[in-house]
Amino acid sequence: MRNIRRLGTVLGAASLVLGTLTVSVAATTVSASAATKFKACVVTDTGGINDKSFNASAWAGAEAAAKQDKNIDPSYLSSTSSADYSPNIKTFEGEGCGIIVTVGFLMDPATLAGANADAKQKFAIVDDAPVGLKHDNVLALQYETDQAGFLGGMLAAGKSVTGTVATYGGEDFSSVTLYMNGFVAGVRYYDKTYNAKVKVLGWTPAKGACSLATCNGKGTFVGNFTDQTAGKTITTGDFSDGADIVFPVAGSVGLGSVAAAQQAGAGHSIMWVDSNGCVSDATDCKWFVGTVAKGVEPSVEAAVLAAAKGTFKGGSYVGTLANSGTLLEYGGIKVPSKLKSEIATAKAGIIAGTISVNPNKYPVG
Amino acid sequence: MTEATPAPAPARTRHAALVWMTSQSPIVVTVLALVLGFFVGALIIITTTPAVLDAWRGLFHSWGAPGDALKVTFDNVGAAYRSMFTGSVFDPAQLWHSMTTGKGFDASLTPISETLTYATPLIIISTGVGIAFQTGLFNIGANGQAVLGGIAGGVAGSMLHMPMILHLPVTLIAGIAGGMVCGVIPGVLKAFTGAHEVIVTIMLNYVIYAFLLFAVLSTAFQQPGQSNDISRTMAPSAQLPPLFGAASGLRVSYGIFVALAVVLFAWWFLDRSSIGFDFRVTGANPSAAKASGISSRTVIVLVFLISGGLAGLAGIVQAASTTHYIDGGFLIGNAGIGFTAITIALLGRNRPMGILLSSLLFAALGVGGRTMQAATGIPLDLATVIQSIVVLFVATPVLVKEIFHLRAAKTEVLQLATQGWGS
Repeated sequence: MRNIRRLGTVLGAASLVLGTLTVSVAATTVSASAATKFKACVVTDTGGINDKSFNASAWAGAEAAAKQDKNIDPSYLSSTSSADYSPNIKTFEGEGCGIIVTVGFLMDPATLAGANADAKQKFAIVDDAPVGLKHDNVLALQYETDQAGFLGGMLAAGKSVTGTVATYGGEDFSSVTLYMNGFVAGVRYYDKTYNAKVKVLGWTPAKGACSLATCNGKGTFVGNFTDQTAGKTITTGDFSDGADIVFPVAGSVGLGSVAAAQQAGAGHSIMWVDSNGCVSDATDCKWFVGTVAKGVEPSVEAAVLAAAKGTFKGGSYVGTLANSGTLLEYGGIKVPSKLKSEIATAKAGIIAGTISVNPNKYPVG
Repeated sequence: MTEATPAPAPARTRHAALVWMTSQSPIVVTVLALVLGFFVGALIIITTTPAVLDAWRGLFHSWGAPGDALKVTFDNVGAAYRSMFTGSVFDPAQLWHSMTTGKGFDASLTPISETLTYATPLIIISTGVGIAFQTGLFNIGANGQAVLGGIAGGVAGSMLHMPMILHLPVTLIAGIAGGMVCGVIPGVLKAFTGAHEVIVTIMLNYVIYAFLLFAVLSTAFQQPGQSNDISRTMAPSAQLPPLFGAASGLRVSYGIFVALAVVLFAWWFLDRSSIGFDFRVTGANPSAAKASGISSRTVIVLVFLISGGLAGLAGIVQAASTTHYIDGGFLIGNAGIGFTAITIALLGRNRPMGILLSSLLFAALGVGGRTMQAATGIPLDLATVIQSIVVLFVATPVLVKEIFHLRAAKTEVLQLATQGWGS
């Protein structure tokens, strides 16, 4: 018995020595490799990197940058709740990240605090522009999604057989309502220009124009970005009110709308949002008339590449139709070429500034 | 340490120490469970890291391959555990740098500050859960109690205005009261109707989560100018200020002293007060307690008042020291400290000191896991796996005993720790 125990002691001592060795070996290798690589770090919101929506797009942007520039080492941290925002940012600061990408306007205060505390730490924040920055170290990535939403509205109006289309939002944020506002403008523009009488349910714009920061009006909202059952209920309601195309601006809630369209059968379709539905959710492609996309991935990629090259500049990037920071992608439903060319004309008009995306400029159809 | 050896001759002390180290003492079992946890964690790193697997696949290709494979394995496992340590305790190189240059103390103290920040509410809430366990009662509703405490304290902290010397205590007491309100319901139901506390507490959690959403979306409590589920910010006079000042960037707050006070209170209460004695007797043997004139109804209601009150305190301490607001995701989902508290209380064998140490361990694993993911890409979930395995082995001491061939403990300890879990 005593021998066995002695053996145990020896084994224990050996594992201790081995452990120490491991740690010291690792210590040298880690510091050696960390010095040469440029770290691109993404802090996601609670959706995580697999949300098929903008957290996923931001992470895809960092990975795409790493593919182009082998010296970039991307990593991410998911937030399990809003209490994680600042510790996650702080952890990345401690890791010596060359740029920290924060996703979503809910991370505004944490990003602002992190940026003001360290002038040398570069940040990029998606869908938000922090106010009160002390240094020039934050790039605000924002997207004028009402421009692409306008084209989506035209597409929906042109494709609608029943003469009614609908939209709804996840929550009443300007980054959501901007899409809906542009969508309504597109429908009204189509009605006026092509003598149609298509109605829109789910969003009534307030007087005045929208900006990136504020976009007011009255509309239908789920109250979150996760409740697919609520999305299905709202969409089924829209269908029974006569709509045949629904535009959910609510991330994964939109999958509930797809389910509603499947249940309602042919003749009902969905306008997807953020990232091309026929790519992120390919199995449901035949239900998508199109996608009003937001260029989160390319803009994050560009920001990371610039930071790695040393050409990063703080300030703001605004995605528009002109720089493909927001765009309309066609889906799995056939669109007549006449309608496509009408949309292309309107796109050129918006880029040139001759067509307004303010719905109040057009009569209610 | 209850194993104080009765001062024998020096030669015998060594022997006695060796005997103790190979016995089934709870401390030995816990430490060995920790070793096993890290061992299984290492296996997971080895079997899921592509670089390590590739190295082993090349094993038969060249003479140097086995050495390389071993080196890659040690590099990866070592890097993971090293970043876990440097991210949660301190980074020796960084600390040396700041000690020699006098600069960068913020960066070198951040890891330990983060660990203490995370541990603070865990210590408080687990102590409450541990007290209930010692009485033979299961408080599975600590999370809901903490949420209600957070709401009550958040309301007091953001909507009342008074000087700090009054405001902070009022806020903390509001938190305790909130937790007590939520805790006393299952207590009274159990004491007077016999309703099982597990069912009632766990179901109350859902009621409280729904109430949380209602509260943070109601006009009075919602942050003005925001349409999402976020409450007003607590007044500075109601916040637990950072220990080293806001300028230091270190988040550890005066809340840590609240946690230490709770541990002291729990130790005094359980070991020194007569009500605490009643609690423990009820937990150890309800019939004997009844026979000796202890009112089980009073004990049950009191236990839930104290346990709920501590959970509520944990909730408001969390809000008052870190975020300073409550939102729709407050302590819900992975952040649900009320459930972590159950495992921490078990790991700490329901003793205040044990809970203090286990809370620090869990906090360090969580905080270090984040640094590990940031530095090596190994997911944070590995920390959760290690936590779970440690608890698994602590809960089944027989396994540890078999693996390490420990001799039977001379004393009662193991039985005592698991008592109440089958009743």
